[in-house]
Amino acid sequence: MAEGERIPGTPRYRHSLQVHSGYEPFFPNFLLKEWIVGAVFLFAFALWIVFNPVDLGPKANPDDTTFIPIPDWYFLFLYQILKYYPGSQIVVGVVLVPLIGTLLLLFTPWLDVSTERHPYKRPLATAAMVLVTFLVIWLTNEARVQHLAETGQLSSNANLPQLKQVPASQIKFSNTNMPGYKLFESTCATCHGSKGEGHIGPPIYAIGHFWDENQLKGFVENPSGGMPPKGGLSSDKQVDQVVAWLVKQSHSGGGY
Amino acid sequence: MLKKAYDWIDERLNVTPLWRDVADHDVPPHVNPAIKMSAFIYCFGGLTFLVITTQILSGMFLAMYYTPDINNAWYSVKYIDDQVLLGQVVRGMHFWGASLVIVMMFLHMLRVFFTGAYKKPREMNWVVGVLIFFVVLAFGFTGYLLPWDQKAYWATSVGAQIAGSIPWIGPWIQTLLLGGHYVGALTLSRFFAIHVFFLPAALLVLLALHFIMIRTQHISGPL
Repeated sequence: MAEGERIPGTPRYRHSLQVHSGYEPFFPNFLLKEWIVGAVFLFAFALWIVFNPVDLGPKANPDDTTFIPIPDWYFLFLYQILKYYPGSQIVVGVVLVPLIGTLLLLFTPWLDVSTERHPYKRPLATAAMVLVTFLVIWLTNEARVQHLAETGQLSSNANLPQLKQVPASQIKFSNTNMPGYKLFESTCATCHGSKGEGHIGPPIYAIGHFWDENQLKGFVENPSGGMPPKGGLSSDKQVDQVVAWLVKQSHSGGGY
Repeated sequence: MLKKAYDWIDERLNVTPLWRDVADHDVPPHVNPAIKMSAFIYCFGGLTFLVITTQILSGMFLAMYYTPDINNAWYSVKYIDDQVLLGQVVRGMHFWGASLVIVMMFLHMLRVFFTGAYKKPREMNWVVGVLIFFVVLAFGFTGYLLPWDQKAYWATSVGAQIAGSIPWIGPWIQTLLLGGHYVGALTLSRFFAIHVFFLPAALLVLLALHFIMIRTQHISGPL
């Protein structure tokens, strides 16, 4: 492509006589091509921005300690390393591993001192970098998956019953004289809403339509998606009472 | 007319050698994607700089509306999103651009590593590049707090707690970062100052060094 190219400022009539070495001036020849690459790149970037608007979360609330935070994605691999060194080992994850990584990166030119430049001719350096790259990607993904599991957004939760969002005023509970209802009001309602319409936890106002007593009991004793074990109830007897009442709530509100 | 103006300036400041130096150096064929398509990997550094430029520009425009205090920060960002002409787009540019800088810089670093371009005589330029990487990460960390939403507040709290768990000097670092014991008014104004004054200054100096070294040492030869 560069063959038939004229360097601006050189006479046109002598252009065809020049032997082209492939070298070309930075300005304007090469810069023009860089601008073309840059323009295509910026166009793709602009399209991405337009189709992925950034949302602003709720205003910071220092009193709300239930929020499960996560660092921006490019810190996730560091964040994930911390999790493997709990308790008194924390110094390994906070200081030692990042420090060694930083030093290795900074002093790469003095660690890989051979004059060979081709990646195949310095297998140790190449293998180390490939390994680190894969490790960073894997750790990032691991942190993401674990965060999704913590906040209950993992795809496995798609198997859980999905109840329609309805206003609390449309929901009518039955059998409210049972002891399970009192427990529901004092415990479960904190997260699921006083009518089970969903608040921090998902809506469960007609959960009896989807699950029988055993399924409900199994889930409450060993829940997912940030729900505390036993749903915060203090004894197995209480769990039984709540489940016995919940399973009767199969038509509340009319829709699910 | 233009020529006369140029000559008038050149006579007094002798600017011709400055721009001729930038313009006249030859670009070798092995980094030119127009000659060999696979040479596009040599574009990553330039594209990183391009995205950094858009970050600086979008940041300058965001700073016209953003208010770095805890009562108004969130509302000012909401105002940018909902009311300002193209505000949503400019904020989107700055938000996604932050990630894009990291991605492009990482690709650039992999290219430099796998082509062995950091070898003698370019060791110092590699070190400056790594420092740029850390400065960019610091940009990300300080910028994450500025919208002052829940995500920002709690991520910074956790980040500060992690810094605080460093033995001996941890609590000092934490206090230095937060301006107190908790994320609050001082933290926000200090992160803002770091994000828009300290780090850009550091970044521009390092970038200048990076580019001057490329000019004096030239692009590394073909493999």
